[in-house]
Amino acid sequence: MTDPALQLLTEAIAAAPSRCSYVEARHVETDGQDVLVRNGAVHGVDSVSGSGVGVRLRVGGGWGFAATRDVTARAIEGAIARALAIAESQPTAPTAPLTAVEPARGHWTCASEIDPLAVSLEDKLELLFAAEALLRGDPRIVRSDAECSSRRVRTAFVSSEGAACTQERVECGASIAVIAVDGDELQVRSYPSAHGGSGACAGWEHVLSFELAAHAPRVAAEAIELLSAPPCPSGRTTVVLDGDQLALQIHESIGHALELDRMLLGEAAYAGTSWVKAHDLGGLRYGSDALNITADATLPGGLGSFGWDDEGVAATRTPLIKAGILCGALSDRQSAAAIGLLRSGGCARADGFARQPIVRMTNVSIEPGEAGTLADLIADTGDGLYLDTNRSWSIDDRRLQFQFATEVAREIRGGELGRLLRNPSYAGITPRFWSGMDAVCSAPEWRLRGLGNCGKGEPGQMMRVSHGAAPARFRDVEVGVA
Amino acid sequence: MSEESPLEIAERALALAGPDMQVMVVRERSLMSRYARSAPTQATAIDDTSVDILCLRDGQTAVASTNRLNDDDLRATAARAHAAARAAARSGPGTHPGPASCSAVRSHDGFDADTATLDPGRAAAALSAAFEIAAEHGLEAFGVWTAGDVQTAIASSTGLRPHDRVSDAFMKVVCRDADGRSGYAVGTATAASSIDPAALARRAAQKVTAQALTELGPGCYPVVLEPEAVGLLLEFLGDLAHNGRAHAEGRGALSGRLGSPVAAALIDLHDAPLTARTLPRAFDMEGVAKAPLALIERGVAVNVVHDLRSAALAGDGARSTGHAGLPGGAPWGPLPTNLALAGGAAADAAELASTIERGIYVTRLWYVNAVREKETLLTGMTRDGTFLIEDGRITRPLRDVRFTDSVLRLLEATEALTTGRRLVSEGEFYGRRFAHGVLCPALRADGFRVTGATTG
Repeated sequence: MTDPALQLLTEAIAAAPSRCSYVEARHVETDGQDVLVRNGAVHGVDSVSGSGVGVRLRVGGGWGFAATRDVTARAIEGAIARALAIAESQPTAPTAPLTAVEPARGHWTCASEIDPLAVSLEDKLELLFAAEALLRGDPRIVRSDAECSSRRVRTAFVSSEGAACTQERVECGASIAVIAVDGDELQVRSYPSAHGGSGACAGWEHVLSFELAAHAPRVAAEAIELLSAPPCPSGRTTVVLDGDQLALQIHESIGHALELDRMLLGEAAYAGTSWVKAHDLGGLRYGSDALNITADATLPGGLGSFGWDDEGVAATRTPLIKAGILCGALSDRQSAAAIGLLRSGGCARADGFARQPIVRMTNVSIEPGEAGTLADLIADTGDGLYLDTNRSWSIDDRRLQFQFATEVAREIRGGELGRLLRNPSYAGITPRFWSGMDAVCSAPEWRLRGLGNCGKGEPGQMMRVSHGAAPARFRDVEVGVA
Repeated sequence: MSEESPLEIAERALALAGPDMQVMVVRERSLMSRYARSAPTQATAIDDTSVDILCLRDGQTAVASTNRLNDDDLRATAARAHAAARAAARSGPGTHPGPASCSAVRSHDGFDADTATLDPGRAAAALSAAFEIAAEHGLEAFGVWTAGDVQTAIASSTGLRPHDRVSDAFMKVVCRDADGRSGYAVGTATAASSIDPAALARRAAQKVTAQALTELGPGCYPVVLEPEAVGLLLEFLGDLAHNGRAHAEGRGALSGRLGSPVAAALIDLHDAPLTARTLPRAFDMEGVAKAPLALIERGVAVNVVHDLRSAALAGDGARSTGHAGLPGGAPWGPLPTNLALAGGAAADAAELASTIERGIYVTRLWYVNAVREKETLLTGMTRDGTFLIEDGRITRPLRDVRFTDSVLRLLEATEALTTGRRLVSEGEFYGRRFAHGVLCPALRADGFRVTGATTG
């Protein structure tokens, strides 16, 4: 064992009191840099370099978790004592079983060509300034942003069940966005994704692939055009969702709904529950035959990819919905055992050293269909709306009733894309909406979309996940709801 | 040997960092105990100290952060901030006007030493009390209890040395029956002893009735919003309307409207950072002293909040009001964090409901998001206690509804407020712990726009 963090953790948990039925320790070291160019000037360069250790243990039915920034044997010993005191003071609870796990051993790292943290700040600024300059020009554009983020996370994990593994993840992403205002009208447009960009577990080559500057004139022009575009009509119609919006639709109305801790009411007071019950597994019709959903932590480039989850369970690929029928759920060791599963779904993830693992999405994706290209799908659609890039989202605490708004809609008339429409929105009920999906574009249109702002847990944890998606068509959707 | 204080760490880091620097040190100690189905689930104790080193150069800002406190790491962190600011400066002048000048920070009553002990026994007792009350009502309890002790210190090359220590406590109780009907209550304060777990559990339990849920179709209804619902709407208003950066950029909801009526005359909204009943703060993250600030007076919009950068952007003599969310100013702009809405004349929520022929009573809102920012148009769901008001009385539980409405429109349509106010909070602690809440009454407004409902 040559990794010093692994050595330190191993020695620390070996000294934990024997009354602990289970102990795990995680050392997390994070380096990151965020750069934002706004309205022609650098708005900020923020870099972070930090580390710490989180210890989780169990005594009887009580769990305790304590985190310290001090990576020394003495401090970790203190964290164990603190976690122990917390666990032992908990009101009495039955000891919930955990699924068995093969001890995690070895090292995992994600593939990347160009280390984003080795790219000079000058090069990053040059790329961002070049794109941001092309966003400006029209006085109605009151804000123009170009930003990028880079991050490296090294983790060492040990447990009293024999796990001893290390991982290294490299992530990066970038985006451009504008806000245009004319009187009381405000419109936003962004690329390649809203809300801070489409990150990936990959090197700087991922950012270069976006060609931000090439897209900037279109982004600015569409924002200006939206200011005077006709409003999205109200009513029921056929809708084609672009991959970016479909990714968020999957995230909110499938991914969260299939978190097993929610089904078992573990998150009822905060994130909410689910309209899906554990006994629905294997029989519930979630959507149409065209709906095939998979959780896959082994996908190259996914923000939800890893070697082992934060309980030391090996990354796996789990079908969740096959031909519209629910067949799986997202689980950790305790939730899986609670419904009699033999193994965890490998979805226990923690946001940094100071948070404990909870059930999270990995890469929850819709499998590609057979509808060909986006152009093929539009041509086959006749009349409807094409909705592109998320602007607003909201869903109830059972993940059933949702309302989304996108930055832009385009009319589909006679199988062709037509004029731009402003303020598009749509609403639905989860199983009805997915039952109306009758076509998904083919594999060449499918790609992973990273989301970096998935909030859950108390204290709050911000998780990074990806969703593979291709444009898809939905029939009889209520639009123009806002 | 006594532990080095945040101010001592900040001064040491500043000495290592060199000129044109501001160092902010935040030490968080916290304990959080979660529970579900009347059993403890997760408990998290955190002890972390972060150091943010801000380098200002030719109007450019760069921040480097670490939680490694030895001299070598602090020196390296400062070097990263220096190098980044130099690189940014090569692109031309930046938009930051320079560091804050020294100003005296005012004292407050925001720290309670007893709360700062973070006693796990107190957490356990709170959970047990909630379990017991829920069981008495044939319900299960879900929620969280948490307490925190946060020290903040700033040392800058310009001589700033403010330091502050605050404590906070929060408890949430959701009581739920076997059919999923639920009730909700939260308490938040600077002192854990101010929170009565049993009383919260009783309030939550009383909202769970055995009656069948009634469906309510889309439309506009008179509404009574409990303080928890009002507080969330006001937090969105703080961002969409009173954010000085958005205002200066012409995209804020009050752009061109300061000095004009924007709400009913009974609306008085302030930022009250030193009021004992809020979660007080002495200064912002640029070291600017906090002070009370009127935002809406008798329905007239009077102020937005600023950090140093947004004030410079606004020009016309604007000054920072002490609302920087990060060293150098947060990318999202300055936000009010101690909102206080003045109370009215109604004795309680029942009196508010007494004049409504048919309307909605809302305990809390959930998953609220902006739809059109400049209109303060939001959408979200009701949750954990939505009721029908008929003939002036709260009569039957409703299935949760979706609303899509403007905060400013609701404040314009506000007819009455309760005298009593509650400090309300969602108790969310993403990243570094920063407890905040809104002190507000319940209100009655006309025309609450329901646009959908969840199903069975």
